[in-house]
Amino acid sequence: MSRQDQSSDDLRAESGKPRLSAIVLIYVREMRDQLRDRRTLFTIALLPIMLYPLVGTLLLQIAQFSQKHTTTICLVGSENIQGGPPLLKGDAFSEEYTDGSNNLTVVLRRADDVDEGETLQEATVQWVQDGSFDCVLMFPPSFVAPASEQGQTKRSVEVLYNVSSDESQIAMSRVTTILGKWRSAWVGQSLEASGIDMAMLEPFQWKDVDLSPERTREAAFWSKMLPFIMLVWAMTGAFYPAIDLVAGEKERGTLETLLCSPALRSEIVWGKLGAVASFSMLTAILNAGSMLVTSYFVVQRIGVGGAAIGAPPLVPMLWLFVALIPLSCLFSALALAVAAMARSSKEGQYYLMPLMMVTLPLVLLPMLPGMNLSAGTSLIPVTGMFLLVRALVEGQYSESMLHFPLVFGVTVGCLWLAVTWAKRQFENEAVLFGGQEQWEFGAWVKHLWRDRQPVATTAQAYACGAIILVALFFGRLAATAVPDDLAGITKMILNSQLGLILTPALLMSVMLTTSIRSSLRVRWPHWFSLPMAVALGVTLHPLYLALGRWIEYTYPVSAEALQAMRPFLDQVETAPWYSIVFLMAFIPAVCEELAFRGFIFAGLVRQGGRLRAMVVTALMFGISHGFLQQSIAASCMGVLIGWVALRTGSVLPCILLHFTSNALSVSMSRLTNSRLPGIDLFITTTQDGAVYQPLWFLMSIGLAITCVMYFATLRSPVEESNAGGCSVETGPPNTNSQQSAG
Amino acid sequence: MIQVDHLTKAYDDLSRGRFVAVDQVSFSIGRGEIFGLLGPNGAGKTTVLRILSTVLSPTSGTAKIAGHDVTTDPATVRRNIGFVSNNTAIYDRMTAWELVTYFGRLHGMPRRPLESRLETLFDQLRMNEFRNVPGGKLSTGMKQKVSIARAMVHDPPVLIFDEATLGLDVLVARNLLEVIKGLRLSGKCLIFSTHIMSEVQRLCDRIAIMHQGRILDIGTLKELRERHDEDEFEELFFGLLSKHGKGTEEDSNQTGQVDSPFPSDGEASA
Repeated sequence: MSRQDQSSDDLRAESGKPRLSAIVLIYVREMRDQLRDRRTLFTIALLPIMLYPLVGTLLLQIAQFSQKHTTTICLVGSENIQGGPPLLKGDAFSEEYTDGSNNLTVVLRRADDVDEGETLQEATVQWVQDGSFDCVLMFPPSFVAPASEQGQTKRSVEVLYNVSSDESQIAMSRVTTILGKWRSAWVGQSLEASGIDMAMLEPFQWKDVDLSPERTREAAFWSKMLPFIMLVWAMTGAFYPAIDLVAGEKERGTLETLLCSPALRSEIVWGKLGAVASFSMLTAILNAGSMLVTSYFVVQRIGVGGAAIGAPPLVPMLWLFVALIPLSCLFSALALAVAAMARSSKEGQYYLMPLMMVTLPLVLLPMLPGMNLSAGTSLIPVTGMFLLVRALVEGQYSESMLHFPLVFGVTVGCLWLAVTWAKRQFENEAVLFGGQEQWEFGAWVKHLWRDRQPVATTAQAYACGAIILVALFFGRLAATAVPDDLAGITKMILNSQLGLILTPALLMSVMLTTSIRSSLRVRWPHWFSLPMAVALGVTLHPLYLALGRWIEYTYPVSAEALQAMRPFLDQVETAPWYSIVFLMAFIPAVCEELAFRGFIFAGLVRQGGRLRAMVVTALMFGISHGFLQQSIAASCMGVLIGWVALRTGSVLPCILLHFTSNALSVSMSRLTNSRLPGIDLFITTTQDGAVYQPLWFLMSIGLAITCVMYFATLRSPVEESNAGGCSVETGPPNTNSQQSAG
Repeated sequence: MIQVDHLTKAYDDLSRGRFVAVDQVSFSIGRGEIFGLLGPNGAGKTTVLRILSTVLSPTSGTAKIAGHDVTTDPATVRRNIGFVSNNTAIYDRMTAWELVTYFGRLHGMPRRPLESRLETLFDQLRMNEFRNVPGGKLSTGMKQKVSIARAMVHDPPVLIFDEATLGLDVLVARNLLEVIKGLRLSGKCLIFSTHIMSEVQRLCDRIAIMHQGRILDIGTLKELRERHDEDEFEELFFGLLSKHGKGTEEDSNQTGQVDSPFPSDGEASA
């Protein structure tokens, strides 16, 4: 290329920044490529446009069919109906009991009109079972002359029906309604006969009025249903193009052509991401639009469900499309990153299910009754966005605007993580070219032993985390109740901490690595970082408690859970202080840190996975805490401890920080009662228990920031980035920083 | 134009543990020179060329193309090379013309000069009769031509051909070799890998013989003949391999089957 062609774009590329022109170029090509594929066009455009009207037509026909279907009832022993107002008028029920609906056929039979060799009982059972009648109403001979008991007459009627048949159930409910009305009429007649005014029985009437505006009422159903359908389509719409654009290109060999072109990896990712997101949105819009229009007509025609499902309001649904953009991008980035792992389109299909399983709960969550937009729910990815859209569709604008920043922040954060993951995948040559050989169990075991390294591999780190979390899950299932004495608590904590958290990490460290010390990151940091870790633990504790209180306020703990925890908390207050500190601060600090910030962190931090190590260990650490409120607080704390682990290169400061924080949590009320000189300056007692003084709270934040700044000045050890100084690598070395553009 | 210094590529392998695909390979190639990498399947040729094209990154050692390092400045390296291999396929749903235009645009070439460049290339490679045929309908030879046009569209100073003649019929292969000769005249630096000895003999200024990730010997045909005191090049080649391996036959069988986890041409197409 000649020098005069050098544009600003070229300069950008040389500096490693993605060029817009190249992204657009790749995007346009991918879009055109997909549109030239007949299969894509069929599934994305043609199918939804044809499918819903077809389904609609079918629905209309079924609706007509079901409206025409009449209920047939056999009334046996009509000759026995004596006394009371007339139930029958000619061959049918009297109109005042049926509300004039005419699709009810009554067949009258005499009680003695049965075939020979069959009792009446057998005959009627047969009728209901073979469906010749939907239900049978039997007036026994005793109905004429009821037995009298203490002056009260006892009459009884039998309704025979079959619960496994819908028609029979409907018939039964209609018959009982008619019988109920008939009985009331009979009661009225008798009362009037004895000179009682009927109005006395019903001193007043009531009328219920639904105040929700018509728009909300109609939107209520659709604002739940439609986003769900749209998101599911956005997911599927993202996945198939993603497989084709990455795994398919790998299979066809065109990906390498693109990789050795001057396009930067980031440009390729952005271009492909744009194309996948476009298809995801198109699929969702076409499907949702087609469904909306079809159901608008169908619902108007047949009016199922009455007021519950009105015809969908078309204009407010436009809010959906606004939310679709970020969510489509999010799904697309996830799909792209997942698809990059597949070697072929076929393999890519296998990854669809796990991805769906992970994201579907987030889409289903807002469908649960009682889920509304709040500070708590807006923090949940996808769910928050979904609820925000629902609020917008229902016209709650002020509520929506209040939570918009949170939802927006969470969505952008998730999007950033997903895109970063996708970009990492494209920079990882093991992902792009690896995995050609056959997997064999024997060879794999041998490989695990022969190729041990000083620290765990990334896969081993993930495996360790998974083992711990699964073990804890079953451990909790096995534990029947919260123990209420110190011995029980000791057993529970030692079991879970030593047995389920430390043991897996320790075993894996012994068996799968060559150095227990470096695989658990037990090394001496700079001596000063140790007291600083304690200082950080102390100064951060007020903020941590405040965070915990905020979380409990946003996601309230259920009363039952509190009740169940009560004996446990009582023990914490009354048991000897040193034993509580040992059990709830020292043991967890050592076990959890060695596992999470030791073994797992060491495995994840290699090959430039600093962010990955921090975030993943924090999440695992959080989940290990069992219930939601603690998990959130622990995850936040986990990120900070992970950062300290990264800065100091050692697990020891993490243990100290964790220990300090836990120890303060369990000793707060004891400290206030201790009457140590000057303790009042820091802690005070309120009705909620011991809390920090506001002045100390503010000061502590300032001091905590100072501590954080100290850690920020530390230079993380060199061997962090190159797999603990070992010579063997499983992926590209860290120097492969060619597209660190993002 | 190309300087390769102690280039090494190793990776973990399930059955063999740490496997060194390229072991301390060094060579340098100047302007207007055709350099041949000769070796049996699994010798590490493809891995070397993939590192040069920045698709893979080396475990250790350096490689520089036109003064730019492949690890620290891969984007600039890719602007200066054209890479053709059996793994760089063309898009099925794009015509030959569209595909070459697309890559020209990715190189940042403006529309007008690009168009005239394309006309020249399509004439030179005799591709005009199928310029509007989608890639999926082209024959192997046509596809290969499109790939070569794609690699040459930005007129790079360095061309890397990895087994470029594999699977081509004699006619097309001959045509391709003519093209390569023409490139030498225009001062390009060209590195290509093959396991066909006649191609090497006819084209290459210098030859490196690779086996099991190492370069066994390097030099002009004449130098090699003199050094090993063997006139017949094929004999020379097998002699070298058997001297270094434990036994050529056994060895090449083995390496032929268990290759790098990154599919190399031979296995991928077989």
